[in-house]
Amino acid sequence: MFGFPRFVILWLALACAALSAPQAVAQIRVGVLAVQGESDATREFAPTIAHLNHALPGLDFVLVPLALDALSQAAATGAVDFLITNPGHYVALGSRLGVTRIATIERLDGADTSGRVGSTVITPARPGHPQGWPDLAGLRIAVTARDAFGGWQVALREMLDAAAPPRGPLVETGFPMTNVIEALRAGHADAGVLRACLLESLIASGLVAEGEFAVVAERDAGDLPCRLSSRLYPDWPFARLPAVDADLARQVAVALLTMPAAEGRRWAVPHDYGAVQELFRELRLGAFADMPHRRLVDYLRAHWHWFAGFALAVLWWAIHSARVEVLVRRRTAELTREMAERSRAEAEARQHREERDQYARLGILGEMASSIAHELNQPLGAITNYAEGLTRALDRGQPDPVFLRDGVRGIAGQADRAGAIIRRIRSFLRRREPQREALDLNEVARGPLSLFGAAAGRRGIALRFDPAPALPPVMGDRVEIEQVLLNLLQNALDASEDAPQGGEVRLSTAIDGDMVTMTLRDHGSGLSPQDATHIFDAFHTTKERGLGLGLPICRTIAESHGGQLWAEPQPDGLAMHFSLPAATAPKEAE
Amino acid sequence: MTAEPLILIVDDDEGLRRSLQFLFASAGLESQSWDSAEAFLADLPAHGPTRPGALVLDCRMPGMGGLALLRLLGERGYPLPVVIITGHGDVRMAVEALKTGAYDFIEKPFREQHLLDTVEAAAGVSRDWLDRDARRRGVAERLARLNRREREVLERVLEGKANKVIAHELDLSIKTIEVYRAALMDKMQAGSVAELALLVALHREDAARG
Repeated sequence: MFGFPRFVILWLALACAALSAPQAVAQIRVGVLAVQGESDATREFAPTIAHLNHALPGLDFVLVPLALDALSQAAATGAVDFLITNPGHYVALGSRLGVTRIATIERLDGADTSGRVGSTVITPARPGHPQGWPDLAGLRIAVTARDAFGGWQVALREMLDAAAPPRGPLVETGFPMTNVIEALRAGHADAGVLRACLLESLIASGLVAEGEFAVVAERDAGDLPCRLSSRLYPDWPFARLPAVDADLARQVAVALLTMPAAEGRRWAVPHDYGAVQELFRELRLGAFADMPHRRLVDYLRAHWHWFAGFALAVLWWAIHSARVEVLVRRRTAELTREMAERSRAEAEARQHREERDQYARLGILGEMASSIAHELNQPLGAITNYAEGLTRALDRGQPDPVFLRDGVRGIAGQADRAGAIIRRIRSFLRRREPQREALDLNEVARGPLSLFGAAAGRRGIALRFDPAPALPPVMGDRVEIEQVLLNLLQNALDASEDAPQGGEVRLSTAIDGDMVTMTLRDHGSGLSPQDATHIFDAFHTTKERGLGLGLPICRTIAESHGGQLWAEPQPDGLAMHFSLPAATAPKEAE
Repeated sequence: MTAEPLILIVDDDEGLRRSLQFLFASAGLESQSWDSAEAFLADLPAHGPTRPGALVLDCRMPGMGGLALLRLLGERGYPLPVVIITGHGDVRMAVEALKTGAYDFIEKPFREQHLLDTVEAAAGVSRDWLDRDARRRGVAERLARLNRREREVLERVLEGKANKVIAHELDLSIKTIEVYRAALMDKMQAGSVAELALLVALHREDAARG
């Protein structure tokens, strides 16, 4: 409220005024606490300033209305020479800055001419109205302002002393103090705090009926002809700052005390403000900076609907957060479960795929069994021949060592060969993770071709290979590609077996755009239209003992490499095409 | 004809080929091998083998298979007994081989003694064939040495005609016929008309076949 910028502007204004003022006329700045705004304060104390200027020619008294904080700042920085403020503020500044009172105001607007301040707490005179301080607990109390001295703080002290701190909300009505009366009449509050003697003044002027309000916690007012709820304190002081010349202070004091009453006020000899200091100690109020603990409670009570709204919002937010958290947690759990489920499903699928591949390899191996048996029989037969020959040579007596050595070496060589065949089959059957590498299809093709070369020959089938020159590499898994070729070769040889012209099976490689294509052309039995549409279906087979898994798996392999596998029926046989994407130049560069 | 037999082996499998040669060597049989039917044909002497022997042939080979080679040799009337080695249980192939003129077939896996016995028996047949062939060649050579009159007399002798009838038909004296007859019997190294008839029959059978 009492903004720093406002003070700065004021201070600058004062500084400018000081600089521009002629040296002959010294400017004396009188700060005044503007409780109800600058204009009210100006109006209230304009007669005092006018009197001082009249009484002390050669001096230019200026009234500087300031809000509480700004006034404190102005006093602290010496921006004002004198100040008029409420007793509480004066006490606070007095102890801190050494401010000294030179006069105390006397109000002449009622029966009171004592220059003393007290509070009267009133309540509508209804049956069962509150009688003492404890009866006010929980009731709504109308006050002009929280920092009003006679309008609240004085009464508050009495409540605290009576161990009956206010628990109900404070209803701040603002000035003038008659607003408190209006609040009570409108039912906005249950009790109200008035400066002492205002009630009598209002009754006298006919604004309030004699029996309309009752006084709460009335006490003996001594010589004060007013009804009173609190102790009495001195009224607002006119104080000087320590920097002010003592002579000037004395002249001002004399001028004030000789000033005639104006606007219902006059200046009297300064009162003892010790009672005020005591009050402030009890209220634990330093320099009006701190609000008592109770104030916060009161504030909460006064604005309970805002707090309730805020609390509801907070509560809603908390519930919302909790709900969101629960949902997030639940969803996270679901996701975790789903992920676990998915990875489990993937693992299962992978296992199925591996098992299926394994069956397929076994199936291919089964279909290759006669070829393999033949492959193995060759070295075994050779070994038997050597063994028999050696036996004969030994039986004949005096064998030629060179001859015997030849036989034994022959056996060893054929045993190695048989072992190599077994290893090749095992490596083909072994489960393994696919490994992509740059492959030259011409080179990859030679393995399966060599495996089938002999078998093809024995069936009277010419197996030929037309490798394309300068074939770009492909990224692929060697074993999988070999598996596809073995499958295709086996099928081609099976189809060609009963071919009328014995047939030729020709494997060729070619570059087709950005694909590398292998084509296996046979002159065998070809495909019936029905088979042509089903050869890539699982478990569709034309072979007596086939599993019908070979080509489906081959197609899966081709597609997993980003390639294709398709059949192209020919008038005299079949062409199978197996395409793979060529490794791009950047990949090569890697 | 006392030449040692020579066993010929055609098999695409080098290991098996060498082991067979080793086995035959252990039995005192000289052998020679080829890795394909084509290579074997290229080396084959056109006028037939000079030594008795047998051809051991794998029935399943790349290129020209064993059966195809067997058929080709049969068509040429090449005097070489062929022992076909067939796969286990390949009855169809065995039957086919025998029909095409194989001397015998051996089913893999085989007992070595069986192979040796079969091969030696085949070599014996080969020796007979060579002997008969040599005899045939002798008859042909002897026939070639006869002059026109002697061939005319030979024809008529084989027809069972008496010298007098032959002399009449050829408008020659009986004395002259007797001289020719003695000369051709001498040139043909035939002791009797029956023996002469056998020799000529052998030749004619050969000529008819070739």
